[in-house]
Amino acid sequence: MALPRNLQDTFSLQEVQFLVENEPIKIMPRITTKPIRRKAASTPSAGSSVRWKLITTDDHNVNNMVAMSSTEVSLWLALLLKQQGKCSIVAPAWLTIKQLDSFIEFELQNTSRFANLPWNWLIIAHLLFQKAADDFRDPVHILRAKIQDLREARLGKIAKGLQHLNESHLQLDNLSLSEINEMRPFAVGVMDKLRDIHAAAADREQYANNI
Amino acid sequence: MGYYDLDDILADSSKFACRFNYELPGLGYLEGNPGKPVGKHSKVELPLWLASVLATVTGEQEHVDEEALPFVEFLPPEMFSARVVNAIKADAPTLDVHSINGHFYALGTRWAALFSDAGLAGMLAGMVLERALEVQRHAASAAVEATAPTDATARMLQTLDEWERQLYRRAHAASRDAKLWAARR
Repeated sequence: MALPRNLQDTFSLQEVQFLVENEPIKIMPRITTKPIRRKAASTPSAGSSVRWKLITTDDHNVNNMVAMSSTEVSLWLALLLKQQGKCSIVAPAWLTIKQLDSFIEFELQNTSRFANLPWNWLIIAHLLFQKAADDFRDPVHILRAKIQDLREARLGKIAKGLQHLNESHLQLDNLSLSEINEMRPFAVGVMDKLRDIHAAAADREQYANNI
Repeated sequence: MGYYDLDDILADSSKFACRFNYELPGLGYLEGNPGKPVGKHSKVELPLWLASVLATVTGEQEHVDEEALPFVEFLPPEMFSARVVNAIKADAPTLDVHSINGHFYALGTRWAALFSDAGLAGMLAGMVLERALEVQRHAASAAVEATAPTDATARMLQTLDEWERQLYRRAHAASRDAKLWAARR
């Protein structure tokens, strides 16, 4: 294959971001796309006369938005609407200073376990900080610092966890996809080598077959 | 390991000292006198791929009551001598493996397989892990904008086995990608 090796056996972060952007997220639309019933439409009120229609294959949520009542759409659409000023994004419940503090607390107290964050926390946090910074109740620079703290605490623990690599088994619960992705080339490389060595001593014939 | 893996081919062609158990006509060119037979008990350096076959295939029995000897016998190589093993046991992470052999792990694995040497394999496994963690520390801490590794990392890279170098390259690329992604736009 012509793909470089690092793209063959692991995701790039851009690919992970693409996957994450397909997840649903809550938004507060500022536009109405819900079709008005005929009776109401015949006597249009002056204030809400502007209606939008979005072209989409999946009609349900997207074309049933009512201004200022929350709905769920996929993240990429939410970011697009946000960019055009047509909605505000409701930040996920775990992305608050209070919640992040309790996560950091957990990370620092448990040296061998990881806090139960969503599988895409790092990517979501980065995307929302970048494109929807004004939708947070808490100041974004503090949230950003907390996310960074959390990330570093976890990176340290991952490095410690790698000491227990062996040829057959590795379990690290509650790691997010991007974190797994980052350690994958290393962990897989070492485990492959260990497996080679292990097989070499264990069974000569089996080893010869494997080559 | 693969058919086209250059490091694999290079590892396979590194030479090991062997002793011939038979006098074989016409093989004198191996020890530098072409046209002559290679003598019994003469010491010759053979590439591993050749020697490992010759050391497992047996020749004719000389006497009926004796077991048939293989064509060649490996002499204990320097790279798995007690001196090296002790150095590994003492402090694996700082050992200059590249000066011993650039394909230390590949050869060690083959050697362990040839002689079913569980002790050697166990030692190698511990060594791989210990040194790989050191490699990972360096790979993860390298700065994104840096065009060349820092002095300490460069010194460490010089002491690595070829496999460890590849591991460093891949681990470094992964952590650099993560940092670049977080810093973009």
